[in-house]
Amino acid sequence: MSYHKPDEKTLQALKDIANKLRIHSIKETCASNSGHPTSCCSAAELMSVLFFHTMRYKANDPRNPSNDRFILSKGHAAPILYAAWAEAGFIKESELLNLRKIDSDLEGHPTPKLAFVDVATGSLGQGLGAACGMAYTGKYFDKASYRVYCMLGDGECSEGSVWEAMAFASYYKLDNLVAILDVNRLGQSEAAPLQHNMDTYKERCKAFGFNTYVVDGHDVEELCKALWHAEQTKGKPTAIVAKTFKGKGLKGIEDQDNWHGKPMPKDRAEELINDLLSQIQSPNKPLHPQLPNEDVALADLTPIRLLTAPEYKIGDKMSTRKAYGVALKKMGDASPRVVAMDGDTKNSTFSDIFKKAHPDRFIECFIAEQNMVSVAIGCATRDRTVSFASTFAAFFARAYDHIRMAAISQSNVNLVGSHCGVSIGEDGPSQMALEDLAMFRAIPTCTVFYPSDGVSTERAVELAANTKGICFIRTSRPDTAVIYDAGEKFEVGKAKVVRQSDKDQVTIIGAGVTLHEALAAHDQLAKEGVNIRVIDPFTIKPLDASTIVANARATGGKVITVEDHYKEGGLGEAVLSALGEEPGIVVHRLAVSRVPRSGKPQELLDMFGISAKSIVAAVRRTFAN
Amino acid sequence: MEDYHKPDQQTVQALRNIANRLRINSIKATTAVGNGHPTSCCSVAEIMSVLFFHTMKYRPDDHKNPNNDRFILSKGHAAPVLYSVWVEIGFLKESELMSMCQVDSTLEGHPTPKQQFVDVATGSLGQGLGVACGMAYTAKYFDKSSYRVYCLLGDGEMSEGAVWEAMAFASYYQLDNLLAILDINRLGQSDPAPLQHHVEKYQRRCEAFGWHAIIVDGHSVEELCKAMSQPRHQPTAIIAKTIKGKGIPVAEDKMGWHGKVLSKDMAESVMRDIQSRILNSNKRMYPASPIEDAPPVSLRNVRMPSAPNYKPGEKIATCKAYGMAVAKLGRYNERVVAMDVDTKNFTCSEIFKNEHPNRFIECYSAEQNMVSVATGCAARELNIVFASGLATFFTRAYDQLRMAAISDSNINLCGSHCGLSDGEDGPAHMGLEDMAIFRAIPTATIFYPSDAVSTEKAVELAANTKGVCYIRTTRPETAIIYNSNEDFHVGQAKVVCQNKEDQVTVIGAGMTLHEALAAAEQLKKERIHIRVIDPFTIKPLDAKTIIDHVRSTRGRVITVEDHYYEGGLGEAVCSAIVNEPGFTFQRLAVAHVPRSGKMSDLFKIYGIDRDSIAQLVRKMLSSSANAK
Repeated sequence: MSYHKPDEKTLQALKDIANKLRIHSIKETCASNSGHPTSCCSAAELMSVLFFHTMRYKANDPRNPSNDRFILSKGHAAPILYAAWAEAGFIKESELLNLRKIDSDLEGHPTPKLAFVDVATGSLGQGLGAACGMAYTGKYFDKASYRVYCMLGDGECSEGSVWEAMAFASYYKLDNLVAILDVNRLGQSEAAPLQHNMDTYKERCKAFGFNTYVVDGHDVEELCKALWHAEQTKGKPTAIVAKTFKGKGLKGIEDQDNWHGKPMPKDRAEELINDLLSQIQSPNKPLHPQLPNEDVALADLTPIRLLTAPEYKIGDKMSTRKAYGVALKKMGDASPRVVAMDGDTKNSTFSDIFKKAHPDRFIECFIAEQNMVSVAIGCATRDRTVSFASTFAAFFARAYDHIRMAAISQSNVNLVGSHCGVSIGEDGPSQMALEDLAMFRAIPTCTVFYPSDGVSTERAVELAANTKGICFIRTSRPDTAVIYDAGEKFEVGKAKVVRQSDKDQVTIIGAGVTLHEALAAHDQLAKEGVNIRVIDPFTIKPLDASTIVANARATGGKVITVEDHYKEGGLGEAVLSALGEEPGIVVHRLAVSRVPRSGKPQELLDMFGISAKSIVAAVRRTFAN
Repeated sequence: MEDYHKPDQQTVQALRNIANRLRINSIKATTAVGNGHPTSCCSVAEIMSVLFFHTMKYRPDDHKNPNNDRFILSKGHAAPVLYSVWVEIGFLKESELMSMCQVDSTLEGHPTPKQQFVDVATGSLGQGLGVACGMAYTAKYFDKSSYRVYCLLGDGEMSEGAVWEAMAFASYYQLDNLLAILDINRLGQSDPAPLQHHVEKYQRRCEAFGWHAIIVDGHSVEELCKAMSQPRHQPTAIIAKTIKGKGIPVAEDKMGWHGKVLSKDMAESVMRDIQSRILNSNKRMYPASPIEDAPPVSLRNVRMPSAPNYKPGEKIATCKAYGMAVAKLGRYNERVVAMDVDTKNFTCSEIFKNEHPNRFIECYSAEQNMVSVATGCAARELNIVFASGLATFFTRAYDQLRMAAISDSNINLCGSHCGLSDGEDGPAHMGLEDMAIFRAIPTATIFYPSDAVSTEKAVELAANTKGVCYIRTTRPETAIIYNSNEDFHVGQAKVVCQNKEDQVTVIGAGMTLHEALAAAEQLKKERIHIRVIDPFTIKPLDAKTIIDHVRSTRGRVITVEDHYYEGGLGEAVCSAIVNEPGFTFQRLAVAHVPRSGKMSDLFKIYGIDRDSIAQLVRKMLSSSANAK
């Protein structure tokens, strides 16, 4: 096939739309008296060609699974995205003037409150990773013809996560992915480091395996042509590096410093708009987007249940990380929608058990945790898949900004962190997650599972697959005994009382390794005739406050929490928050209070005061008081 | 230009011998303790030998000598080979090496600064090069000295974006004193690394990022010596093609050997084999001495020479006060440096830049790298570093911050635009989890100043406080509430408003402290008096002041914060007052992902404004009246 230049009328119509988008962007940001009109103007021709020439989608059904996807990674250009959907007819032109208002869904940066937004953007450098997840899904899971377009700013090309995504896209030959770089030279507080050095951008994109075109970003014909070539290119993703000018079309403002994030002054807006209007030749020539090939089935939203109950016997010894791998594989057996990914730790997190059973549904993301989380989010958009991404719990710290944004994106990703706490032993503090509960608790849409044996891990995985919002499952390295019957039922927000008697004098709340330490303390104290109650919270968020309060009362108001985590933001503080106003309850907290070190797991549990020994001592202390 | 002299055969053999001894010790130690990554050590044996016994200039008996070349082992899991080098030098005893990773050893599984020869902890991959950039920047632009910085990376970690942030930074700032060695041993942990042995692809990527890149056989000491001696006008990457497990026949270039130790029997036979390759050479290798041209530096007692120059009632944003304070501190100590991520006009660090342009580093939109550069600049107590960005974007660098604590780093960070007060920009830009993550850093001190006077004091205190300091600033203008001569201390709260008849204690900070003061005014009209406390530091929190005052308001306390419920001010107070009998505690915080809108509307919607506070005070009083 060879390229046919669009006719002059079409080209003029695309130019006209670009200027209309500029006018909308100016009006919107003048109305809100904030926003980034100059960052919109540099992208006007790009948006016009993408939305009215290249992309195939149903303008009245933005979430149609067959539609091409568009991700505005440079989220601060939101007004021009809204303008494009106004031109496409999905939103009313008058609504545009409610930009950034408290009762409008047209927020300062795009969020999925809007049907045409799949992932929230606004924290720079995250769009391309999500686009990779969508493109991977389109190519390998949906095996469909929809394509994925992601527009980036030049400032955000300084973010490492962009290059993680670039490497991923070429490694997996995502030829259905196009990255459009709006190189408008100027950042927020000064010029971007590469300015208009187009060759350097080109070399970087090519070195990272992209089919790359450098174009004049204000020339609609060049854009049409490059985007057409992108579609013909097989085996490689395409980068369109567009040389543009920030504030293009705005006299006296174009390519000038100090205009980032500033609406046009009220007294100049009219003149600027009139100037743009004068360049529009046929204001009423509508262009309609091409319709997509309808080759994608609607998402199957039926709950995914384990086909068989867990196959563990009480007393069996296994790590919860291994139980995760087994459970994930079983969920994969139950539904083809379950997909998994890892950051080159699959033999440690045991996601390789899933990979062995379902190789076509496993994505190796290599050592790029930020990108892995973005890919997981991308895969989960439009409910195309139920994604589980795993690595060491500590390394989710690397992707915390992405996880934070996932909440704003209303994403349903499931994240699984192994090797939590000091109980990993010799590898030392750099590999120990001791802040992950604090991190995930502070994500508003998050459910935090902290299973303590094989059975509860398997149920956590099943529940996570069917729970909205972000789910985090914290798994441990050491082997621990199975404590629940295979038929035991688990629910989000429902704790288990693991040991109890009528004579219990203290309630101990532990999870994972420390639950087993609590059980050991229970046995030891029982020999001395002291009875303690032991609670497994199962989920740390939401925490089962009523079970905890009731049991605390039954044990004279005495509670001890013990956790393989720092003292801040983890299980202990979650319990304190849950107990809130309850009078007469005394809580002692055992947690790691300083940067730990290498050593044998048991030695470290002792050294940092969260072992059975420490619990026994704490129980004795509460009696002494 | 330096002329390259090929090392003589004796030197070459001596370097090969050292490489093989490093292999033997790495295998011996990991087998002895049953833990570690011997195959990842074996691929770098020649690289380490050439670096430490031929290329680098340093005083082996004086690790912290400021003139020494620096070395960062970014692939921290190869720690045993680093320790073996120091055994070879004679600084460590072999017996110490054989008990590494044990609970009483300072030789940990991954390097930490418990060892003098380690400046920063590594082990979370992809972080070493950014730190190396900070050190190289310091050498070139602050110390103006000739020491160089060497960073050894693995190929697996080249997938981390943080590496490419650092690559872009190094070339942008022409760090020709920085040399990165890439150990391309093909194999990752669970799979081959994505580019396998395609060294030309690595070269192309490095060159595109502005580096001089040389491909060598990583097991040829001659090639390594030559490449490392090349003159440099830009940062240099030595792309060393190596074999993972080199010298261990069963493991060489084989999957399934990452992080696996050899059995005792196997280790003995392998070590015998390697030993047989060590040829007699009388030549002892000594590192060359460094050029002594680093300036003396003292960071002691960095004080503001004068009190803050603000008048009560004056209105100024704490983010602006931060910029002014750092600029002022910079006037009196030339080792105060600042950096930002292209947000300097928001965080107001541009005030510092305008006054001290040579001590400001623009890091562009690369938050991970900025924190690493800050850590590198602060290493060996060479600079007092203030790095700023929007509060919420420190989430991007949380792994680097976590590692900064393990590194015993003394960096200072300032996050502006916290909370809902960012308004129309919407949730993507609102820091609502920053206190939670900084509280969970064991070495952190968290300042949350509520006016310009206390912001200036916070900056001065942060400069003199060990560990990671975080200053949370706010965008809107707020009134000055403290006198210029007010004394501030870490861990000391201020009672901002009190009266004998106070019935409830309200604790707020930043914007919410001002909302609490407004609520106090409002309630006064109803003859309800409240006590208002400014905690000043959230960590450590002044538990004593809080408990004393809550007691005197009959145990009633309310916290109000522009942050999510979890991990912030409320939970900090909760932790501080737990087990105090008779306290009634209520919290106001943000419970959901927020949205765009005017700050005042958002404060109302999410219930952290003056009306919400006043209402909760009334409710608390009426329910306690009912209880009677």
